[in-house]
Amino acid sequence: MKAVKSLSGRSLQWDVRGIHGLERPSRNIKIAPEPLMQAETRARESLEEITDLALEFGRLSMEAGASARHVEDIAERVALGLGAERVDMSIGYCSLAVTISFGHEAITRICKVGPVGVNERLHGALSAAAARIERCEMTVTQARTELTSTLRECSRHADWLITLGVSVACAAFGRLMGIDWRGVGPIFLGAALVQIVRRGLALHNVNPFISAATAAFFGSALCGFGARWVGSPTAATNVIAPVLLLVPGVPLFNAQCDILEGRPSLGSARAVWAAVMLLFMTLGVWLARELLEGAR
Amino acid sequence: MDLLPLLHNTVCGGLAAAGFGVLFNVSFRGLPWCAASGALALALRTIALGAGWRLEAASFVAALLLGIVVQLLPSWIGVSRNALHVVGCIPLIPGGFTAKAILGLFAVTAQRPDTANEVLIAALENLLRALFTIGALGTGLALPIVVLRARSRRISRT
Repeated sequence: MKAVKSLSGRSLQWDVRGIHGLERPSRNIKIAPEPLMQAETRARESLEEITDLALEFGRLSMEAGASARHVEDIAERVALGLGAERVDMSIGYCSLAVTISFGHEAITRICKVGPVGVNERLHGALSAAAARIERCEMTVTQARTELTSTLRECSRHADWLITLGVSVACAAFGRLMGIDWRGVGPIFLGAALVQIVRRGLALHNVNPFISAATAAFFGSALCGFGARWVGSPTAATNVIAPVLLLVPGVPLFNAQCDILEGRPSLGSARAVWAAVMLLFMTLGVWLARELLEGAR
Repeated sequence: MDLLPLLHNTVCGGLAAAGFGVLFNVSFRGLPWCAASGALALALRTIALGAGWRLEAASFVAALLLGIVVQLLPSWIGVSRNALHVVGCIPLIPGGFTAKAILGLFAVTAQRPDTANEVLIAALENLLRALFTIGALGTGLALPIVVLRARSRRISRT
């Protein structure tokens, strides 16, 4: 540590930005001397705290569906804002690794990334919190409080509202695909069932691919039988519309962005995940169509 | 150009984008912007298709223009540019083609040999259209981000 190693027995001169964001003094404040070993231990603990917090910001933004560039940006802002000199980050599909340096000291940490979803409000709030931490020169304790309050304020929309939203979206998709007006109602109901089944299975920690296939099967079957009942002439296409909410648009977009920005391994992993999701979704639709043809 | 299909597609694109905005947990303040981005993307694509362009080219131009417009939006609108890109372009994703392609490939195994060729060709056609359109969308969206971000970095360094 620069600051710690400049300790000359009588006083310690904090250089540039203080140290590690713990108690951040203004420039060139003289503080009481302390034994070298004790100061080094305290400094290392502080660097560990900064690393943990930066990694937590990175993990949460990754799980909220941010692209690699944004994950790196958020973690870097937090670490640099808390006093680190250098941040090096490696972003994988299932894990994040970060090395944070201050002077001659460096700490490397790895953490596991949970299931990746899409939560735009959380992503935006994390980004704003990271900017505040960078701008306001907070301490680690203040930054952690900021993270806690950000997580508390970022609730998800109510389940009924999400179900209504995706149902309307899929019905609109159906119209864009050329489905007649009579087929819109079954698509609306089918999409609602897809969302309800998917949410229910997610709450029971069912594998997302199995969940997608199951939800697609029930939604397509309901929509197919409904379209037949109302006499829709486009019944063959109708069964596809309610499952379009399962199309992994954000991972596909992030995959392409990651590849274009020089992260082909992460981009490929995201693309493969999206392709397998599409495959399982189609499996559900195919099973529903078999059921419909069998019941003809 | 007939205005009724344009209006229909614009409204449907806006509804689809707003619905996905809710799914992606965009705040209520940001939902109108999501609807506007989806409506703009669909309007642009419909105009291009009406002018006789292919789906892939029309999707590319729609995504490119949407990307540029979103990059030029101010930051006070309450929703990130990244979210607007994705939500706006989701109605352009050829989910129907993709699903039809995979269903067609499944069906090849169940067909009699005399009709298998036709089913396979139809499935491949759908698959290629879906792949090219997704590629065009991604590239059209990513170009403004990469170019304008590089420009803003250069400006901030000077």
